[in-house]
Amino acid sequence: MRAQLEAVIVSVEIAPAHDGAAELLVRLRHPNGGEETVSIDAEIGFRLMRNCGASDLAGLAGQSWRRMMNE
Amino acid sequence: MFDVLIRNGKIVDGSGTPAYAGDVAVKDGRIAAVGQVSGPATRVIDAGGKVVAPGFIDPHTHFDVQLLWDGAARPALAHGVTSVVPGNCSLSLAPLKANDRKTLVGMFQQIEEMPPEAFTEAFEWTWEDFGGYLAALRSKLSVNVAPLVGHSVIRLWVMGEAAAKRAATPDEIAKMQDLLRECLDAGAVGLSTSFVDMDEHGWPVPSRFAEFDELDALCAVLGEYGRMLQCVPEFYAVDLTIARIDQLAELSIRHDIPTTFSPLFDIALAPDNAPRAIARVEEQFARGARVWPQMQTRPIDISFSLLRPSLFFARLPRWVQVLRQPLEARLAALRDPDTVQKMVADVGPDGGEAMMGRLIVRGGDTAPADLVGQTLSQVAEARGEVPALALINLSLEHGLDVAFLSASMGHEVTDRIGPMLAHPLVHIGASDGGAHLASFATYGDTGYLFSEFVRGSGAMSLEQAVRKITAETADIWGLKDRGRLEAGRHADVVVFDPDLIARGEERPVFDMPGDGMRYVRDAIGVDTVLVNGKVAYEGGAYTDVKSGVFCV
Repeated sequence: MRAQLEAVIVSVEIAPAHDGAAELLVRLRHPNGGEETVSIDAEIGFRLMRNCGASDLAGLAGQSWRRMMNE
Repeated sequence: MFDVLIRNGKIVDGSGTPAYAGDVAVKDGRIAAVGQVSGPATRVIDAGGKVVAPGFIDPHTHFDVQLLWDGAARPALAHGVTSVVPGNCSLSLAPLKANDRKTLVGMFQQIEEMPPEAFTEAFEWTWEDFGGYLAALRSKLSVNVAPLVGHSVIRLWVMGEAAAKRAATPDEIAKMQDLLRECLDAGAVGLSTSFVDMDEHGWPVPSRFAEFDELDALCAVLGEYGRMLQCVPEFYAVDLTIARIDQLAELSIRHDIPTTFSPLFDIALAPDNAPRAIARVEEQFARGARVWPQMQTRPIDISFSLLRPSLFFARLPRWVQVLRQPLEARLAALRDPDTVQKMVADVGPDGGEAMMGRLIVRGGDTAPADLVGQTLSQVAEARGEVPALALINLSLEHGLDVAFLSASMGHEVTDRIGPMLAHPLVHIGASDGGAHLASFATYGDTGYLFSEFVRGSGAMSLEQAVRKITAETADIWGLKDRGRLEAGRHADVVVFDPDLIARGEERPVFDMPGDGMRYVRDAIGVDTVLVNGKVAYEGGAYTDVKSGVFCV
C-alpha cells in the first residue's frame, strides 16, 4: 500500500473573507497526521474545484491539496 | 479666558479609571484643566448627560488619497475619530517618483477600490518625497494624521521595476535605509509591510519580495527612532500567522521597536485560530517583545452579485457550473428556462428560503431603490417567486448588477469577540477606513464597540472601551500627548451620548471623485468633536475648521 505523501483535503466550508467576499475554509491533513485550516479566495477556490473535477464542495473531500496548483 | 469650556459632562479620561462628573477647559489647542473648572470661556458647551472623552484614534486606515480632498476623512471624524494612521499594508503615496505613479495607483485601486478619477481629478500630484506629500496635506486636515511609509514604495523608489521581481542587494538595502530615515525625519510614524497583498494584475506587491535581511535592516532604522513596524501576515493560515508573530517578536526585541499586525478575526468554523494567535502573542510579550494584534470590532459580511463568480454558491453544482462561465455564456444560461429550473431545484424544496431568504438587497448599483434594504424573502414574496428564482430574475432584469449581502457571516459571535477585544494585549483597530469602498463600509467600528460590547454584552466597561481606542492606542504608537484628558495634552475631545452611540445602517453614497460610489455608515450619538481645541464637528455637521496636524 502506497503511503500518503502529500496533504489531503479533509473538509471544506464557505466562510467570509476579510474583504467581504466568500472564500473557502479548507481543512487539510498532512502526511504526518497534522491538520490545519487554510483560507482560499474565489479565483483559487474555483480553480481547485475545476482541477479536482468537483461540481460542488462535497467533491473536494479526499482530494490532494496539490491539485490547487495549475494543471 | 478659556477658548472652550465643556461643562457638566461625565469625564471618561482615557486612563481607564472610573468616570466622574466634571468639566474640561481648553486653551490654545491644549487641555487647560479637567475637573471642577470655573472661569470664563469664549465658547461653552453643555455636556449634561453626555460622556466627554479623548478623541478616538484609528490605527489602521487607507485614507492616504481621500485626505487630499477630504481632510476630515469623512465620515470618520463624525464618529469621534480625531487621529488616523494611513499608509498601512506596505502602501503610501510617498516617496514615489513621478514615473512610478501609475504602478502605485494600480496597487491602491486594488486595495481601496477607489475610482480612477480620484487620482486624476481630485488633486494635483506635485510631490515625490515624503515631506512633499505631507506638505500637500498640511493645510487641508481636520483630523490628525500619523502616516506610515510603505515598504513597497520604498522598494519601488530604490529598485524600480525590479522591486516586484527579486530580493535586494546590500547596496539597495542601504539606500532603502537612508530613504526610510528621510521619511521618519519628515514625520512618518513607522513602516508598513505586507506578506499578502497583490496588485491589480494579481502580482505580489514589492514588499513581498524582500528577504528577512532587508526587513531586519529597515527595522534597525526604525529602532533608531523607536518607531512602529506594521505588517499584514499570511492571515489565511494561522500557522503562518504564528510564524510571523515570532518573526515580528524577534525584530521587536532586537531593535526595541513596537510591531503590530492585522487583520486578526474570529471565524466560528475555525474557532481555535484567533485564540492560538493571541496565545502566541502572550508568549512573545512575556519574552519582552511588543507584537500587537489588531482586531476589528465589526462582524464580517459576505457580499456578491452574479456579475462575478462567488463561492457563496459553492455548495450548489448547477450554480457553480453556470456562474463560473464567461459573462455572455452566463447570461445565456440564466435566460434558459431549463437551466434555471435545475438551479432552483438545486437549492432544495423550499426554493432557497433557508439558504437565501435572509440575503439583503444592497444599494449603490442598479438595484431599484425601493428594493434596497429588503430581504430576498420579501422581494420573492412580492414577486410571487421562490427566493432562488427571484435572485436570478432580479439580477437578469438589471444586467446582473444587483448586489446581495449576507450579514454577519464571520467575527460575529459577540460572546467570543468581546473577551478578545478586552484582552490587554489585543489592539482594537483594523478598520481599513478608506479602503474596500465599493464592498462594504469601514466606518463606525468605534460606535459598534460601545453599542455591542459595552451596552450590549457588557464585555467591557465604558471606561475600558474608551481607554482601548484612546490612551492605549496613543501609547502603542507613541503619539505624544494624545489619548488622555489631562491638563497640558492636546485637546482632541469627543462628546457623545453613552446610551445612543452606535453605527448607522450601511448606505451607498456617490461622493468620491467622478461620482464614484462607496458604502458608509453614519454616526449615531456623537454630539461634538474637537481637534486640537477647535470644534470640527457638532450637531451632525462638519465645521470649516482645519485644525488637524501630523501627530507623531
